Order: sequence, then structure tokens, then C-alpha cells
Amino acid sequence: MIQFFSVSRRYTARRVALDRVSFEIPRGQFVFLRGPSGAGKTTLLKLIYCDEVPDEGRILVNGRNVAALPKGKIPYLRRTIGVVFQDFHLIQRKTIFENVSYLPRILGANAREQRRLAYRTLSQVGLAHRMSSFPAELSGGEQQRVAIARAIINEPEILLADEPTGNLDPSLSREIVQLFVDINRRGTTVLVATHDPTIIPRSGNRVLVLEHGRLVRDLILRGADEPRGLRGDRQVPRVDDTLPLGRNP
Amino acid sequence: MTLLQALAFFLREALVSIRRSFKISLLAVVTIAVSLFVGGIFLLLTRNLNRIVMEWRGEARVVVYLAQDAPEGEAERLAGEIRRLAWVSEVEEITSGEAERRFTEAFPSLGGLFSDWEGPTLPSSLEVAYDAEAVDPRELSAWQGELARDPAVALVDDDREWLRQIERLVALLRGIGLLLGAVLLSAAVFTIASVVRLTVYLYREEIAVLRLVGATEFFIRGPFLVEGLLQGLLGSLLAAAGLFLSFRLIASQALPSIFGSVLFDRFLSPGDLLLVGVVGSLAGLLGSILSLRRDDGSLFN
Repeated sequence: MIQFFSVSRRYTARRVALDRVSFEIPRGQFVFLRGPSGAGKTTLLKLIYCDEVPDEGRILVNGRNVAALPKGKIPYLRRTIGVVFQDFHLIQRKTIFENVSYLPRILGANAREQRRLAYRTLSQVGLAHRMSSFPAELSGGEQQRVAIARAIINEPEILLADEPTGNLDPSLSREIVQLFVDINRRGTTVLVATHDPTIIPRSGNRVLVLEHGRLVRDLILRGADEPRGLRGDRQVPRVDDTLPLGRNP
Repeated sequence: MTLLQALAFFLREALVSIRRSFKISLLAVVTIAVSLFVGGIFLLLTRNLNRIVMEWRGEARVVVYLAQDAPEGEAERLAGEIRRLAWVSEVEEITSGEAERRFTEAFPSLGGLFSDWEGPTLPSSLEVAYDAEAVDPRELSAWQGELARDPAVALVDDDREWLRQIERLVALLRGIGLLLGAVLLSAAVFTIASVVRLTVYLYREEIAVLRLVGATEFFIRGPFLVEGLLQGLLGSLLAAAGLFLSFRLIASQALPSIFGSVLFDRFLSPGDLLLVGVVGSLAGLLGSILSLRRDDGSLFN
């Protein structure tokens, strides 16, 4: 579960990344975080995996106040959170197997166990046959799938994705979103930040909308025509956008 | 991951890193080796000088030179008086002839110096051995002053004076060595810090991934610390090898002379070599620590 209680983050007095944001994401939910560039999506994700600390407010991740987490405890929190980025962040001189095996290696798994976990996880993203390849030998979509495999190899409680389809074409983007859906079905809470409304499935998903650092919408898509409402910047979503912010419908 | 597994991992990663940036690692190793070599040469000199001083201190004598015109029997009188002192262990009478013989033996090339000389050449003397532990230095000095006023005595020569001068020289050498070693070692620490910083920069993406997936700072920094330590250790080994080879070379060429036999008589002890290794390793480790202090623990920038 992720809970934000009136969280603010200011880089300077005039540059406010997040302004008194409050919401709650229950365990196992799939949520899209939508907003234009500079709306504060990346900052919000960084606050969850402790790459930044809020200036105000409280953030609870599975009941732990991450804003007050001692530095030495942050790694242990991060082991329960998988993170995927737009530009993959794969290590080019390492094989795919080595790229996805960082966490098992940190946890002391032996070589055989590392290989087993890597194979199992790469199978989930359809890349078990590329274990010995190097990132440069893969397409953008495949590289993103490797990054996802790295994020989920330890079966995290939460998966965060920051513009995961930003570098991919629409068909590959749909594949990646489908992977997130599959991961979510196995019980992982998924939070995907995107500025692209076309990747948001037509119904059944929760969408948090950020604008200028403020949470302006918290809605559930419930109709075939809903993406249109989200797609057009000038249009206002027509369903459920009257839900109070921070409530779980 | 157990501590042993972690150390094995650190060592493996450090070796990979050294291999990957071999040339700059070599620079760091050579820098530390040069500084330890210079420091080691001074250590070698001071150790040998110290040893010689200690040996000479044990054999220190007071030599009482008799006046040329001293009446006969004065030597025996003085020797008798001196032997009565409790802290005197031995008094040896050296006649003029015996002194000449000793001189000729020590400096054969100057042997002919006395051939045309008429009468006694070198003065007779009394060599007084004493127990330095049993006598107060001030009492010893006072006694020498009293003795010098005796009409039969020309000169009282105390070994302690030139031993003190050698000790001052040893202290000066040690000071210069320490200063020079410290300056060079600082340069070596700075070099290692730069090398490790460069390595951290080269690995910044991987470090960020490690942090992202939940590696502790111990796990992340360990390989860099071991890298600095290894560079320091390798530098120490290189310095020790250089010192040994130089010692052998100088000793084999210089031993026949007094200079060689004094300054390059013995090589550094295992304890001194260990000290060189420890100082080098710590310098490397310090370099790594200094370079990692700038790392703020952030992820991707």
C-alpha cells in the first residue's frame, strides 16, 4: 500500500514539483499517473523509492514512513520496489543474465540460483533465449522487457514505471503495458507514470492526474469512451472525476 | 550475502576494475611505490645508523692522552686512580709505540708517515671503558674536567660527543625522510583518490542500478575500497622489491668502504617491510575513502 499525506516537494521557492499531494493506493492495484512533462510524476515516483525526500507531508509504503527512513534502511525498502525507466538503464558491458541478476547476487544467491531466477523471470517477459546476449544486441522493446525483468526478479510488492514506453512505438508500448497488467495480476501493485494517454487501457484502471505538481484528478475509467476524455488535453474526463481526491473507489 | 562472500565479490570486482583501467591503475601503483621507496631508503639509512650508534654506544670509551712531557710513571699513577672509580670497568695503557702500530694497521697507506719522525710520534694514552648505566652523565663530565686539569694530561676525549653528533644526524635524516615520505605519500593518496574517482565515474551507471535494486553502501563501496587497498599494497610490494634490489646493488659495490659498511650493512627487518606494506595499503584505502566522500548516494542524474 502506498499512502501520500499532503506531500510537498519544492526544488526552489518558485519551483514546486509537488504541492500537498494526498492519495492512497491499496495493495495490488494498477494505477496510471498521468500528466504533462514537468507535472511532478517523476518526483512522485522518486519519493516512493527514496531517491528524494519530501519537504512536507508523510509517505507510507506498506506502513513504513519512507520520508523518515534512516539512510541505512533505504536499500531494504528498495528491494521490495521494482523500478523501470524510459531509458532502460541497462549496463551495456554486462549480459542480459548479469543485468537482471543484480538483486539475487546482492542477496547472496549462488550462481545456480541466480541463473534459475534469471531464466524464470526472463521467461515471463519472453526473453529467456537472450540470456547471453548484450543489451546492444536487443531492440528497444526487448531492452525494456529486460529492465522489467530486472525490476521483478525478486517479486517486488510494488512496481514503479516512469514513462516506460517513452522510447517505444505504439505496438511495443501495448506489449509493455500488457506485461505490467500480467505482473499486476500476480499481486504486485503497479504505478505507471506516463504523459501518453494512448497507453492507458480503456477501462478498469485507476488514473491519477497531476498538473503543475497538484493532484487534480483521481478517477476510475469505466467506459469505452473514457480514453477520449483523457486523450484530449482540452477535454475533461466525464466519468468519476468528481470522486474526492485520496479516496479509493 | 555472508561477509566472506562479500569480500570475495569485492576482490573480484576490484581486480576487474584494475584490469579495465590498467594504465591509470599502474600510475597509482607506481606513484605510491616511488613515495614508499624514497621513505624506505631513509628508513634503511636511519635503521643502519641507529644500529651502529647502539653498537658504538656499548663500546664507548674515554681516552686520556698524556702530555708529551709527562714524567715517567704518571701513566701508572693516573691508571691506578682511575681504576679505583666504581663505574670504571677497564683501563688499558696505550704506549706511543702501540698507538703508532694501531694507526699503521688502520691506515696502511699512511704507514710511512712516521718513518722520518724522531722521538715519539703519537702520545701515550689510557683507554677507559666504563659502565654507562652505572654513572651519571654529569658526574662523568665533571670527572673528565678534573682529569683535564691534571698537568700530566694533554687531552680527554669522550666518545659520547661524536655519538651525540651522529644521533643528531640520524634524527635529521629521519626527519627529512618522514617529511619527504609524507609529501610523496600525500601525492600518492591524491593519485589513488583520482584513480578511484575516475573508476566511480566509469561505473556510475552500474552503481546507480545497484542502489536502485537495493544494494547497501557497504556492497557498493566495498569494491572501490578494495581497489584502493590493492593499489596501495601493490605499490608497497613494488617499493619493497625496489628497496631490496637497490640495497643489494649498493651493498655489493659499497661494502668495502666505511660508508657502505655503515649505511648499507643490513636490509630492513620483516617488521619494517610490514610497516611499508601497511602504510601503502592504508594510503590506498585513504585515497578510496576520500574519493567516495564525494559520492552523495544519488541514483541516475
